[in-house]
Amino acid sequence: MWIYEKKLQYPAKVGRANVKMAKYLITQYGGPDGELSAALRYLTQRYTMPTPQAKGILTDIGTEELAHLEIIATLVYKLMDGASVEELKQVDLGGYYADHDKAVYYVNGSGVPWTATYIMAKGDPVADLHEDMAAEEKARATYDWLIDLSDDPDLNDTLKFLREREIVHFQRFGETLQIVQEYLDTKKYF
Amino acid sequence: MFAANERMRLARAYVPFQIFSKRLDPMEGLMKGTIFPELYFPYRRHKR
Amino acid sequence: MNREQLNMLKELMAVQFTVLELHLYLDTHPTDQKALMEYNSMVHQLEVLKQQYQQRYGPLTWGEPSAYPWQWINEPWPWEICYE
Repeated sequence: MWIYEKKLQYPAKVGRANVKMAKYLITQYGGPDGELSAALRYLTQRYTMPTPQAKGILTDIGTEELAHLEIIATLVYKLMDGASVEELKQVDLGGYYADHDKAVYYVNGSGVPWTATYIMAKGDPVADLHEDMAAEEKARATYDWLIDLSDDPDLNDTLKFLREREIVHFQRFGETLQIVQEYLDTKKYF
Repeated sequence: MFAANERMRLARAYVPFQIFSKRLDPMEGLMKGTIFPELYFPYRRHKR
Repeated sequence: MNREQLNMLKELMAVQFTVLELHLYLDTHPTDQKALMEYNSMVHQLEVLKQQYQQRYGPLTWGEPSAYPWQWINEPWPWEICYE
């Protein structure tokens, strides 16, 4: 089961409302390498992991990704706060407004809704852990590009936190991969 | 580039294990996104 | 949210983050005794901070006591806080 904590993982700030950045950033909410994809990917892959370390790390990182999802939603919410219909139209968010007003919805940076095809659960633990390491690198790259796009130091502060988490997660998945490979080796030869 | 040692085999990826030695203070760790100095690889603006 | 509450909340975030980092590390290093000792000591610190915070400002999570009226729904919610 899961229990909600009424706090963010990180004190997420924005310097000013900025609908253009909201439009870019929302890809980390509902895009292919976003936090929803990450959470759902890890939390469903854990059932077919062979070692206790792998079951643990996928459960715990999957759960942390839900906390990151909440941080992204908070940033998008703050970036859109107080925006007029005219401002939304100017950055081509008129279509978004028609469907969602200023609700935070699971779409990528081009407005395409989230799809389960963004994630995979292959059942082969080595293949799945490679996907997870690739996913962390892709998310890290996305944060790099988002920071390139942004000139708001407060927003970038939170994006840098999330970017660094991808690096730590990559390391943990890499360690898990070694453990799983060694486990599978011993199983094969005895 | 490095040669494989006897415990490694081809067609397999390896990530070295982290060995915990020291950690940052909680607030510094939170601000950096990790408490482990050896895992801190911050963003650098490299293009555009 | 006043300055005092915000500072307590940030301290809580920082200590909880340290616990999380050690937790993930221990998932792949379950026999690292030094990390485990560090983890247990930080968990204790976190527990103290949580109790202090909740006594003053109400429950942070499910299953915690509340003063009257029901404090769980008190604003601001996490996304509404200005973390200056």
